[in-house]
Amino acid sequence: MAKKEELRELLKAELKDDFIGEELAGERRLFVDVHNRALVKTAEILMKQGARYQVGVGYESRKGGRGLALVHTFAFDNDALIVIVRTFAPEDNPEFDSLTPIIPGAGWSERECIDLLGFRFKNHPGPKRLVLSDDWPEGIYPLRHDVPHDLMPPATRDVVFRLEQPPPGTSIVPFGPFHSSLHEPAHFSVYVDGENIKGCEYRGFMTHRGIEKLAQTELTYNDVPFVAERICGICGSVHSVNYAQAVEAAAGIKISRRAEFIRVVMLELERLHSHLLWLGVAGHLIGFDTVFMQAWRIRERIMWLAERLTGNRKTYGMVIVGGVRRDINKEKAEDIKQVLKEVEREMLSLEKAIINDKTIHKRTRGVGYLSKEDALKWNLIGPVARARGIAIDARKDHPYAAYDELEFEVPVVDYGDVWGTLVVRVKEVYEAINIIRQCLNKMPADGPLAIDLDAPIPSGRQALSVVEAPRGEAVHYVLTGEENKPERWRVRAPTYANLQAVPEMLMNNKLADFPIIVGSIDPCISCTDRVVVIEIGLQKIKVMRKEELETISRKMRFEG
Amino acid sequence: MKVAAIFINLAYFLLLAPFLEGVMRKLTARIQSRQGPPLYQPYLDLLKLLGKENIVSSKNWAFRLAPLLAFSSMLAVVLLVPLAGAENLLSHSSDLMTLIYLLTLSGFSILVGALASGNPFAGVGASREMMTIIMLEPVLAMTLILGAVKSESFTISSALSGIGRNHGFSYFLMLVVYLLALQAFVSRQPFDIPEAEVEILEGPYVEYSGPNYALFRYTLNIKRMFYAWLFVVSFLNFVPSGNFWLKLLLETAGILILFVLISVIGATHPRFRIDQAIKYYTLLVVLSLIAIGLGVKGW
Amino acid sequence: MWLWNKLKQLAISLRAGVVTLHYPFEPRPAPAGFRGQPVWDHTKCIGCAGCANHCPARTIFLRDICQEVRILLYDSARCTYCGRCVDLCPEKAITMSDKFELATDNRQDLTQAIELFMMTCQRCGRCYDLEIKNYIDRLTLLGYRYDSLEVRKVIKKSTSEFQPEMLEKTATYQRPERLEK
Ligand code: SF4
Ligand code: SF4
Repeated sequence: MAKKEELRELLKAELKDDFIGEELAGERRLFVDVHNRALVKTAEILMKQGARYQVGVGYESRKGGRGLALVHTFAFDNDALIVIVRTFAPEDNPEFDSLTPIIPGAGWSERECIDLLGFRFKNHPGPKRLVLSDDWPEGIYPLRHDVPHDLMPPATRDVVFRLEQPPPGTSIVPFGPFHSSLHEPAHFSVYVDGENIKGCEYRGFMTHRGIEKLAQTELTYNDVPFVAERICGICGSVHSVNYAQAVEAAAGIKISRRAEFIRVVMLELERLHSHLLWLGVAGHLIGFDTVFMQAWRIRERIMWLAERLTGNRKTYGMVIVGGVRRDINKEKAEDIKQVLKEVEREMLSLEKAIINDKTIHKRTRGVGYLSKEDALKWNLIGPVARARGIAIDARKDHPYAAYDELEFEVPVVDYGDVWGTLVVRVKEVYEAINIIRQCLNKMPADGPLAIDLDAPIPSGRQALSVVEAPRGEAVHYVLTGEENKPERWRVRAPTYANLQAVPEMLMNNKLADFPIIVGSIDPCISCTDRVVVIEIGLQKIKVMRKEELETISRKMRFEG
Repeated sequence: MKVAAIFINLAYFLLLAPFLEGVMRKLTARIQSRQGPPLYQPYLDLLKLLGKENIVSSKNWAFRLAPLLAFSSMLAVVLLVPLAGAENLLSHSSDLMTLIYLLTLSGFSILVGALASGNPFAGVGASREMMTIIMLEPVLAMTLILGAVKSESFTISSALSGIGRNHGFSYFLMLVVYLLALQAFVSRQPFDIPEAEVEILEGPYVEYSGPNYALFRYTLNIKRMFYAWLFVVSFLNFVPSGNFWLKLLLETAGILILFVLISVIGATHPRFRIDQAIKYYTLLVVLSLIAIGLGVKGW
Repeated sequence: MWLWNKLKQLAISLRAGVVTLHYPFEPRPAPAGFRGQPVWDHTKCIGCAGCANHCPARTIFLRDICQEVRILLYDSARCTYCGRCVDLCPEKAITMSDKFELATDNRQDLTQAIELFMMTCQRCGRCYDLEIKNYIDRLTLLGYRYDSLEVRKVIKKSTSEFQPEMLEKTATYQRPERLEK
């Protein structure tokens, strides 16, 4: 608490007139409104105080005539505090100072605001297009309220993203948009000199689905968790829980303790299967398919367990605003315990078999090295940071749901390479098993699964929620709106933060290590891109004949 | 008989090679706790590929020529060899150099095809393939030369039988070297570096499809079988020559056992990087040179 | 050391045996409580539109072709099998079946349509008012909906905004191409 008061006083004193207002939402959040011109100064003060930059959110406020707003959030991990800095600009001149020069991790958030809301940033080093496709017309900003959610500008053919020229003496090897080591569309143009990587440019956001826009226009509060769950194919629960927590915080809803425990169980089950999935994929990426198959065999038990608990192996659909949908009764708890016992046993034997395998060390040790200082500079999170000696974990630092009552370790190692991330993830598997067991023992025996609400959620409230996803901390920011739906919902997936540091990890490694280095952050491209509105019912599908497709692809290749 | 032997050679390698791949796939699958495809799957795969459209993505004529050249030189190799100790018409009129030359030609055509395709992945694959050929051909050559040295003859059959003539130091050293190099000869993990699916998408073959690709696959299958066969006849020729068919059966059994070994090792190792592999190959070359030295000394 | 590790790896594999199935020749039934394709029971449905209004995928369509007849159309093409419709149906008219092998080359195989005969409340002119306890789940729309059944598009309109021309419009609903200023 002291920290919160201290920061408040400090900001007030330093900013003087530029300090417009504050909102003390609970113990762990501090909202401050500052004047546009003092943004960089505020950020500097906060960073000096040891903050970690999280995310930038832009929105158009429908009410209150405050024009366009930009929110930056800063986490103080040691004090369980998150400071949210809000600043406003008039609609006809949405110009802000860029934070990227002092915080490189802010680069993407700002570029996203440029694309989606038409903000302008002073001093931004590379305001290239990030989110929107290259043929999207200039001047239409999808997240503005006057743009309909199903707007479909005609596609143009000859607009392409201009990739940078490779440095002299190197040639480009294109990884993507479709490549067998990237499981989702993303494009890395890797500059190589022989087999050595000398640099790389990333172009992603090819699966931008417009989910945030959809939630702000078409969906209602309790539709969003199910869409949120589909942001990610692996850690869906993270997003639905996160969204629900943000809405609950904004509306001041307190859900039952039992529901919180059930949420934790689902989150940890998800972590289990996600880490096993990663272990398998990592094996595959270094050409060790037996590890891939065996890790996935073990993982399959968890998938089946989830199917029995929730009705689906992956999209659990457990979370709604106000609680959860299905109960974990005695019988199911026994089932979970049984499966965990088997998974633990199998995991131990798998670990013993691979942890001392010299051939695996050869491919992972010293690969993708990044020092602790660099990791801090890029605000890395999750296992990627914990493999570099940074002990951050949102479950401990900003406890949510029932984590404050649970005891667990946060494994940290300081190898700084791919091997480190492997060790951290393997250890986290055991921690997850331990957490679930505790949950089953500590869970209160009664309590409603979902609480009833007798009044609508008031509009204009803001809240931020963090959840430690298997890949690191995921951040959701919600601004409540009218008509039973959020006005702005911003998702920052962990990969969003980690991916920005990948070019640096790739530097001076071998081309053969590209897949495993990119794999080491466990990239989830669809989470990062999250947001193409699909309206299957309306799409005019032109079925192309095979010959047509071939001619097109050939023509393009020979022309290009 | 000498002419008939050519056809026996041809039929033996052509028919059995895809089956051996089937064995490899089934075994790998079992180690990975999968059912795995049926043993005859590789035949179906080849048939399927043959029925597909041949997409020629490069205007370079070498692109079309490469698969034919690779396949035909590999066929020539297996025609030359004395299967089950029976010399045929062709192995009379050729010697070790022909064999090594043809083998290299086959590898070399893959390289040419890859470079002709102009694909960056194929380029990376080709450069890796080149390094592998440069480092591995000597090991193969040394094995055969050891036989030549021991039997003091340069014909294929005497060289092959020469290796196991006496079981001295040189024999054992070369046997170990050959076994260590086997995974690389047959390009399985940990040495399937030129193909490396997750990095460079089957490298040299990335632009090939349909019949062209089928030829490459077939070449690879025969190549694998050839290297396994070579090991069996040169290092394990304990069986006295006698009945041709019996000997052929024993050789086949030997090949099968070797394929089991290859599959098991392949399934329990990650892929090495090319720089790590080169170090390993260098060691092998040095060891094989020592073996030759020992062989010359008569040990 | 190396050999020992490899043997351990082999032991794991062999102990596990073969785990993949001869699917689809060997069926794998779904466990109890599985969320497969929802199935409507037309004898129970009262046409309250609860499911249609709360389907996150907006894949349940409703059209009142006249005051008395309401058509409910479920188009599984976009269904996410979340089960929200089942949760919210006051009459338990929907069940999540265990069907999950739904691939087909005919979209009609997946759709379910029910025609419902509706009676109007003499006092308020609406069909039903439902008391759902949770405010954020309370039906957001009462009365008419004019969804386009032809192009499967949700068009939300409440009673007060009803105009007969809308019916014609929905048949040829077009996605907006340009930004209308
Ligand atoms: S299961 Fe979910 S997506 Fe499918 S119809 Fe019901 S509510 Fe809609
Ligand atoms: S919620 Fe139930 S009763 Fe209401 S329309 Fe849907 S199926 Fe019918």
